[in-house]
Amino acid sequence: MTCHGGVKAEGGLSFLFENDVYKETKSGNKPIVRGNSAASELYKRITSEDPDVVMPAEGARLSEEEIEVLTAWIDQGAEWGVHWSYQQPDEEGIQEELTDWATNGIDHFVLNKLELLNLQPTTEADKETILRRVSLDLIGLPPSAKDTELFLADDSDSAYEQLVDRLLASQHFGERWAAVWLDLARYADSRGYQKDLLRPHIWRYRDWVIHAFNQDMPFDQFTIEQLAGDLLNNPTDDQLLATAFHRNTMTNDEGGTDDEEFRIAAVMDRLHTTFEIWQATTIACVQCHSHPYDPILHKEYYELFAFFNNTADKDLPSDKPTQNLLSPIDRKQLTSIKVKIDSMRLEGDTVSQQFKYHLANMEKLMPGPVQIMQELKDTFQRETHVFERGNWLVKGESVDPQTPSFLPAFNDSYEANRLGLAKWLVDDDNPLTSRVIVNRFWEQIFGKGIVETTEDFGTQGAKASHPELLDWLAAQFKNDYKWSVKTLIKTIVMSSTYRQSSEVNEELVQEDPYNRYLGRGPRFRLTAEQIRDQALVVSGLFSDKTYGQSVMPHQPDGVWNVIRHAATWKQDTTSDQYRRGLYTFWRRVSPYPSLQTFDAPTREFCVSRRINTNTPLQALVTLNDPVFVEAASALGKDVLNNGGNSLDSRIAYMYKKALLKEPSEKIQQTLKAFHEQVNEISNLTEESNELDEEDIWMNMASVVMNLDEFIMKN
Amino acid sequence: MNIIEELQRKRAEQMTRRYVLKRSGLALGALAMGAIGCRNNKLSQLSATNYNAAKLAVAKAKQVIFLHMAGAPSQLELFDYKPLLHKLDGKPCPDSFLEGKRFAFIEGVPDMLGPQFSFKQYGQSGSWVSEMLPNFSSIVDDVLFLKAVKTDEFNHAPAQLFMHTGSARIGRPGIGSWVTYGLGSENDNLPGFVVLVSGNSIPSGGKSLWGSGFLPSKYQGVELRSKGDPILYINNPATISRDIRRHAIDAINEINKESYDEIGDPEILSRMSQYELAFKMQMTVPEATDVSKEPDYIHEMYGTNPGETSFANNCLLARRLAERGVRFIQLYHRGWDSHGSNDFENLHGGFKERCQEIDKPMTALITDLKQRGMLEETLVVWGGEFGRTPMQENRQGLTNPFKGRDHHGDAFTMWMTGGGVKTGTTYGETDEIGYYGVSGNIHIHDLQATILHQLGINHEQLTYPFQGREFRLTDVHGHVVRDILA
Repeated sequence: MTCHGGVKAEGGLSFLFENDVYKETKSGNKPIVRGNSAASELYKRITSEDPDVVMPAEGARLSEEEIEVLTAWIDQGAEWGVHWSYQQPDEEGIQEELTDWATNGIDHFVLNKLELLNLQPTTEADKETILRRVSLDLIGLPPSAKDTELFLADDSDSAYEQLVDRLLASQHFGERWAAVWLDLARYADSRGYQKDLLRPHIWRYRDWVIHAFNQDMPFDQFTIEQLAGDLLNNPTDDQLLATAFHRNTMTNDEGGTDDEEFRIAAVMDRLHTTFEIWQATTIACVQCHSHPYDPILHKEYYELFAFFNNTADKDLPSDKPTQNLLSPIDRKQLTSIKVKIDSMRLEGDTVSQQFKYHLANMEKLMPGPVQIMQELKDTFQRETHVFERGNWLVKGESVDPQTPSFLPAFNDSYEANRLGLAKWLVDDDNPLTSRVIVNRFWEQIFGKGIVETTEDFGTQGAKASHPELLDWLAAQFKNDYKWSVKTLIKTIVMSSTYRQSSEVNEELVQEDPYNRYLGRGPRFRLTAEQIRDQALVVSGLFSDKTYGQSVMPHQPDGVWNVIRHAATWKQDTTSDQYRRGLYTFWRRVSPYPSLQTFDAPTREFCVSRRINTNTPLQALVTLNDPVFVEAASALGKDVLNNGGNSLDSRIAYMYKKALLKEPSEKIQQTLKAFHEQVNEISNLTEESNELDEEDIWMNMASVVMNLDEFIMKN
Repeated sequence: MNIIEELQRKRAEQMTRRYVLKRSGLALGALAMGAIGCRNNKLSQLSATNYNAAKLAVAKAKQVIFLHMAGAPSQLELFDYKPLLHKLDGKPCPDSFLEGKRFAFIEGVPDMLGPQFSFKQYGQSGSWVSEMLPNFSSIVDDVLFLKAVKTDEFNHAPAQLFMHTGSARIGRPGIGSWVTYGLGSENDNLPGFVVLVSGNSIPSGGKSLWGSGFLPSKYQGVELRSKGDPILYINNPATISRDIRRHAIDAINEINKESYDEIGDPEILSRMSQYELAFKMQMTVPEATDVSKEPDYIHEMYGTNPGETSFANNCLLARRLAERGVRFIQLYHRGWDSHGSNDFENLHGGFKERCQEIDKPMTALITDLKQRGMLEETLVVWGGEFGRTPMQENRQGLTNPFKGRDHHGDAFTMWMTGGGVKTGTTYGETDEIGYYGVSGNIHIHDLQATILHQLGINHEQLTYPFQGREFRLTDVHGHVVRDILA
């Protein structure tokens, strides 16, 4: 493919498109003659003994077996296959069958595969482990005291399902899944590039996403409103707000830069992002030339570009067009307050404390100018050209909006604009969208997608570990669940596959080191946001306020001193500083340090997968970042107040608070020994430096909050 | 600490086996061996094909110190002496120089601007240096001047990104990330890629200049801060002594070992060694970054004042970090953008001050490295993201209030020393007004290819798969400039 693909077609031969391989190439020979291997140049080349003739030109000869397969394929008529992900799933042909172990269809496919590999599923995880796991997965937080009590005390068969339902109904559900979506949407509170001016109002889009997940907005609607809410008939304010999705592109305010150049960069980013999120198709390389590995032509890139090339934004210093909008929650609240105020007015009550309270609240609910998408009207519409070799200054032929030919045709009844494109993406015939999206949710829960490369379903992407499972789940999502994300997630976490213990034995590590075949439960590190949130919850500092403008928790001095036009980081001193990491003000040139250290992206571009790293800088965050020290200190105080008087009871209380279960004898011993060491050191120092009980228990809590088990989802 | 070493080894063995099996090589192999904390992460030790292919037989340089002058100093006031410009001073620029050109700020027809300072030739090499750099002019024979460096970009942020990441758009790994990804670190207890910033703020290109892009985040440059903790959170809170921290990490790892025995996840071993490394870094980083213990004669030589944020302090720090085996040391000194639109951007104002700030320390750095026998293995590179026009800037068609020049990417001067490059000579030449290179042109991708080459890396082979293709620092360009190698 490197030599005979979409970029290089050495000797005039490319293997990307079916038509190309039956035609004569530059040498005058036909690479493949259907049904006749002897007449096919391909066969001659791979079997030749002449080093100047044999192919591949570099690397090892093809094996006898490989040659046999290719020969047989040509002789049988050289039927051209379509890459798996571009084929329609065979929805009828896949039937799940439930065995004893299986709770639902997922388990059928997983067990089939395990049996093929002679592996066994692992036993179910203990209740405390599954409680913490499912809570972190569904709402991104450790379980509340109430959920812990309810679930652990309930031995009935329905206890787990009830827990899952409570978590799905929690307001924190939307926050957890919004955090995932915002990486894809490259949401940030600033514009990016050199000046990185702030976007102080765009948080309302973030709230739109949280709200949409909480309402379980069907994913097809979620798609259409974000891509083209402005083009719907009489769009609501919320539908306009949704289009801020594609206004999360960067705006360049550096002096001397060409606005048109960066307008085009933003439009291209919208195209790349759309195709990465919904189609897991990497398209950026087609800007300059036909795709090297996937069947996408240079011209087709610009036909897709044309869908996006007609919006009013143009890298302006004003970041316009914008519209004064309320977040969905603020709008709801405003409506209900207005009703109250109106009725009080009718009753003649305009002086009571309560009236004033409502009035004050109403004034707080102000709309703000949010960057939105706006289509240019008739005569102002832009003509789209192919850019020769991707250079925007060299315009080639003019093109109209069209979807690429390797995917199902664009329905003529759809509008030839973003709205039509959005409908095409969630069309029943689109073979990629439901697979790609299901795979993204799966990855969040199991740590790896069924297709590991969540961003690439093309020929360079990974193969599916369970192709039938992917197709089955994609069909369920689209047809049976009617694109309900909550139903999809519930199906996944109700499965026996999900509820397995994550412990491994030597054999399992050898046979399946990455748990690709799911013979055990998922175990991987918490996300950056979850690490922060968990520390706040466990320590009791946590503010569970949902929605609202971005906040500035503690950040060391000087971190934001990055550019001449710097706005200042003004630390929130109210309980807002203990809000979830999701709400932390996200500045692209200077992301919040502790989030970044735990692999959160800068949000300059769409990121499908955060690659988990494991570095000493992370240890320094959870050991020394004042936010984490404060959390350890708060947990320490909690232990002193509520953990009883004996060392044993205090350790047990603290450990249980963090990990929901009793410490083992060994852990108890280790923590006791540490307690003694700290005491001893404290007693040896001068009186003024002696540690008080609170200091000692801050140290104790810090140890527990740095344990691997605490940093991981088990 | 025996147990930790044992665990580390075990972990490394597992990783190696895994990745040999995976065969996808560079990407995954490198994930296993971080830039931080994996000594001798040499290309040769990784079995993957990409690594072997990327490795060259001989590495001339072990490490790089890159002195980047953000904002772009004027080559016409420092090294590229053009007497003809004296004669043309104040005359309108001929149309032929303006046709088809895109400038950042010049509009209409600007006037030509003569050299603003006097020049002399120095050393055996007879290299031209202006009066702005009196100290540096004494060591020109140790330096290689590149007079016709060329870039594609003419705005700061894109040009800086281009210089450091090989692409004008945000999102690619910086050269230091590529290098540590390829070679690892020579020091277990310090990051492999360190960034030191002076001037009024960080350069326009922002932290993306040393971001790891699509490479794993452990390869991103670690900025050593000059105020507060040198590395964020490196210091323990007041109530935690080093003794207590030692015991705390022992307790954490003891319990983690217990988890490993029970759960069997190798990731736990990795976390244990990272905690151990964090503890070591807590000691080495403050020690390595404390310049106050350097002898007086060193402070005099560099012009350093401990505790200050200055280019001088950063030069001395660079030497200390180089001594300790840090692979890529990136300095940024900002404030060179001499447009002439205000006194800070005045060639006779801000520019002059910047020259005074760098002259003594950069001279001291080279002298010091040479005296310590480190220069041979340390490649030092100096330059801005582009140069300046031979014309005086006329923003909005008006004459600027101070003497200044617009951005210019077609030809500008950089210099190098150490690390196996030819010194005491000049490579490349510009035309009579210093507008275009007439010989020895070096494109930014060539410069990058050459830096990698000196470190023993084939720039065409050091790749990483992302968005469907193999990416590299030099994109699909770049040639090693063999003429400048010793």
